[in-house]
Amino acid sequence: MNLTKTKKATKLFAIIFAASLLAGACSNNQSTDSDDTSGQTETPTDDSTTESKTSEKVTLTLLAYDSFTPSPNIFDDFTAQTGINVEISLGGDAGELVTKAGLTSGNPEADVLWGVDNTLLSRATSKNIFTPYATKNLADLDESARKLVPNNEATPVDTGDVCINYDVNWFKQRNLAPPLTLRALTSSNYANLLVVPSPVSSSPGLAFMLATIAEFGQDGWDEYWKSLKQNGTLIVSDWTTAYYTEFSGSSGKGDRPIVVSYGSSPPAEMIFANPRPATAPTAVAALTCFRQVEFAGILRGTKHEREAQLLIDYLTDIKFQEDLPLTLFVYPANTKANLPEDFVKYSLRPESPLQLDPDLISNNLLFWLDEFTNIVLR
Amino acid sequence: MTTIYNRSQAIYWLAIAPIVAIVIFVIAPVFNIFVSSLQFESLNLLRTEAIRNVVWFTTWQSLVSTAFTLVIALPLAFVTANFKFKAQRLTTSLISLPFILPSIVVGVAFLQILPNNFHRTAFALILAHTYFNFGFTSRLITARWLQIHPHLDDAARTLGASPFKLFITLTMPLLSKAITNAALIVFTLCFTSYGVVRVLGGPSRSTLETEIYFRAMQLGDVSGAMLLSALQIVIIVSLFFVTTRASRNKFKQSTKPTISRQKSLQTRKQKVIAATIISIATLFAIVPVLAIAFKSINTNSRFTTTAWRTVFTSPEITQSITKTLIYAVIAMSLATLLGLLSACSVAYSNNNFHFISGLTTLPIVISAVSLGLGIIITFDTQPFDWRGAQFMLPLAHALVALPLAMRVILPVLQAIPDSLRQASSVLGASPRQTWLNIDFKIIRRAAISAAAISATVSIGEFGASSFLARRGAETLPIMISRLLSRPGDSLQSQAFALATLLAIFSLIVIFVIDSFANTKSARDSHA
Repeated sequence: MNLTKTKKATKLFAIIFAASLLAGACSNNQSTDSDDTSGQTETPTDDSTTESKTSEKVTLTLLAYDSFTPSPNIFDDFTAQTGINVEISLGGDAGELVTKAGLTSGNPEADVLWGVDNTLLSRATSKNIFTPYATKNLADLDESARKLVPNNEATPVDTGDVCINYDVNWFKQRNLAPPLTLRALTSSNYANLLVVPSPVSSSPGLAFMLATIAEFGQDGWDEYWKSLKQNGTLIVSDWTTAYYTEFSGSSGKGDRPIVVSYGSSPPAEMIFANPRPATAPTAVAALTCFRQVEFAGILRGTKHEREAQLLIDYLTDIKFQEDLPLTLFVYPANTKANLPEDFVKYSLRPESPLQLDPDLISNNLLFWLDEFTNIVLR
Repeated sequence: MTTIYNRSQAIYWLAIAPIVAIVIFVIAPVFNIFVSSLQFESLNLLRTEAIRNVVWFTTWQSLVSTAFTLVIALPLAFVTANFKFKAQRLTTSLISLPFILPSIVVGVAFLQILPNNFHRTAFALILAHTYFNFGFTSRLITARWLQIHPHLDDAARTLGASPFKLFITLTMPLLSKAITNAALIVFTLCFTSYGVVRVLGGPSRSTLETEIYFRAMQLGDVSGAMLLSALQIVIIVSLFFVTTRASRNKFKQSTKPTISRQKSLQTRKQKVIAATIISIATLFAIVPVLAIAFKSINTNSRFTTTAWRTVFTSPEITQSITKTLIYAVIAMSLATLLGLLSACSVAYSNNNFHFISGLTTLPIVISAVSLGLGIIITFDTQPFDWRGAQFMLPLAHALVALPLAMRVILPVLQAIPDSLRQASSVLGASPRQTWLNIDFKIIRRAAISAAAISATVSIGEFGASSFLARRGAETLPIMISRLLSRPGDSLQSQAFALATLLAIFSLIVIFVIDSFANTKSARDSHA
C-alpha cells in the first residue's frame, strides 16, 4: 500500500517535471520567432505578384509610442514592393521607449524605432541605440532637422510645435483676452485654468518645460514654475488626459480652457468635427511654441539591418510622409511632400519657435527633471 | 543535525545547483549594482531633497500601514483565537485571501473601489497595504494565542483578575513577541511594496522601489536607480537582521495545549462582538476582489462582456496568458527543485552547509526590483547577453520564489527523526531506498505546497518582470500595468478583466494543490 502511494507521488512529480521540460522546450523553440507570431497570421498573399528580394519572408517590428496612428494600410505598399511585413509594436511614451531601448542597446526588442524627438535624441545616441544609415531620401529632408543628426544616427521623419492651446469660445463668452505669452499664464486672470502633461512622463510636457527654460533661462525657469503652481496649474501624467479629459475646448468634458498641446491641434479639431464649425474652436498662442523634431532609427543589433534600411527609406518617402499631417498631425520632414489644404489653412507654423541646444538638453535634462519634480510634484 | 546521509559525498553535489544559480543570477548582479553605483559621482543624489522625500515617504507610509494592520488584525485574532463559531474555516480562508493575491491585483482593486480623488494619495496606499497584510498578521498572532494554555487564564481569573487586567498582565506579555515579529514583517513588506504603489501612487507618492523603476525605466537615470537600489538593499538587510534577531530569542516552539481555548460563543454580547468583527473583516477581504470582477463586466455604467471577449480573442492578450502559464510551470519546477536541493543540503550536512540557508534568503532580502535591474545591467554583453533570452524571466521568478519554497520544505525535513532512517537502513535499505521511502514520503506534501507557492509567486510577479519582460512576451501583471497606463474605458475594463483572471489563477493554484495535499494526508492518516 505504501509502495503504491510512493509510486503515485513520484509519478506526479515526474509529470510536473516532464510538463515543465516540455514547456521549456516549446518556449525555446519559439524564442527566435515568438515576436512574429501575431504578424505572420496576417501575411498578405500577394508575394507571387512581386519579386521578393529575400528568400524567406521577413517581418520587421516597428516600435513606436502609443499615439502612433498612421493610416491602417499604409504599410501594404511597402510589403508589396519588398515582400517585407511590418508589425507595429506600441510601447508607451517616447521617453519610456528610449530608456528601454537604452537598456536593451545592442540586443533590441524591435528592428526600427519611431519617435525619438530632439529632446531625447542625445540620450538615445549616447546609449548607442542606433546603427547609422543615410537614407536615399536624405537630400529631400528638412535641412535644420538634418543638422541635428550629422552622422545619420537617426533619420528625421517629422516636425511639429508644442504650444499653449486655448478654448476660443470660453474666453469669448467671458470677454477675457486669451493668454498669448508664457508670462501671462502666471497672471491671476488665468488662475486654475491651465492643464499641463507632466514633463517627466510625456514628451509634449517635456517640450513645454524646455520652452520655459528657453524663455526664462536656466536661472529663471524654476521661479516661473513656482508661480505657475501657485496659480493653480494642474499637472497630469499624459497628453491624452490633459487634452481629452481636462481641456474644455476638445471633445472632452473638462473645465480647463488652457492646455499644452500641439500647433497642429486646431486643424485636428476642425477636420474631424462633424458638422464643421464656422470658426476653429481652439487656437494657439504662437509665442509659446517649442519646436519638436522626431526621428526614426535602425536599432543596433537587429537581425534584419538591410530590410530595416528599406523601411527607413519608405518612412521618409513621399507616400508615407504625405500621410502624416492628417494622421499624426505633424509636418512631414520630406520637403517634397504636399500638405493638405485644410491642414495648412488651420494650423499655425510659428516663424521663430523656442529652441534649446541639444547638447545643453542632454547635459542638464536629469537635473532639470529632478528640479521640476521637487518644485511641482512633491 | 546528524543524519545517516552525513557520510555520503552526494550531499556536496546537492548543494551545487542552488549555489551556482544564486551566485550567478543574484550575487553577481547585486555586486555589479554596488560596484557601479559607487563609481558614479551620482552619490550626490543621496543629498538631494527628492531622494530624501522618497525615503521619508517610504518610511512613514510603512509605519502607518503597520499600525492600521495591527488595529484590524488584533481584534480579529482575539475572536478567532478565543471562540468557536460557524464557518470558521471558511472565514479564515477568506481572510487569508488578500495575502495570496498578486500585488498588482490589490492595487487595481483599490483603484476601483476608491473614488477618483483618493487615487494617488497616501491614504489609498495605506489602505491597500492594510488590506494586503491584515489577514496573515491576524493568523500569526492567532497561532501564538492558541498556544497560551487556557488554564493560565483560569488561574488568573480565580485569583481575582478582571478581564482587562488579565489581558494586560497575562495575554499581552505572552503575545508581545508574536506581535512585534508580525509588525516587523508587515513593515518590511510595506517598505518594499512595489506593485501596489506602481498602480495607486503617483509621481508624488513614490516609494524607493517604484523610484528605482521610475529612474531606470522612465527617466533613463540608470546610475541613480542603481544607487537607490544599493541604498534599498542596505536598509532591507538591516531590517532583516533586526527581524531575525527579534525572532531568534522567540518563545520556545511549545506545542498546542491539549485543551483548546476556543469556546463557543455564549452571551449575547460575545455573539454581537464576534459577529461584527468577523463580518467586517470578511467583507474587507472580499469586497475589493468582487469590485474588480464587477468592473470587468461594467464599462461606462453598462453591463457588457466586451472586455472579456477581447481578453480571449486579442492575440496580444491570449499570448500573454499562455506565456504567464508557461513561465509559471517552469518557475514552479525550478524553484521546487532548487528548494528541495538546498533544503536537503542544509538538513543532511553538518554545519558546513548552513550558509546555504542564508544564501537562499538573498532574493527576498535584495527585492525583486533590484534583482531585475541587476540582471538587466549585468548580462548585457556577448556572450552573456541574456536580456532577450526566454529563460531569463522564469528563472528570475524561480529565484524570487526560492526562499519561500526552501523554507516550506526545510522545517519538515529537519523534523524527521533520524531513528526512522536508521531503522530503514538496519533493515537493509540502501541510502537511496531510505531516502525515497522515508524522507521523500514525508516531505512530499511540503514539496507540493512549495510548488504551489512558487507558481503563485511566478503568476503575480511584477517587480523583476517590469525590468525583464520583453515585448511580445509580457506576463499578465505587465499587461495589466500597460493597459492601465493607456487612456480609454475599454482598455481599463480589459485590465480589470485580466486582474480578475490573475486572481482566479492564484486561487486555483492554491486551492487545487492544497486540496490535493489535504486528501493525501487524510488517506495517509487512515492508512
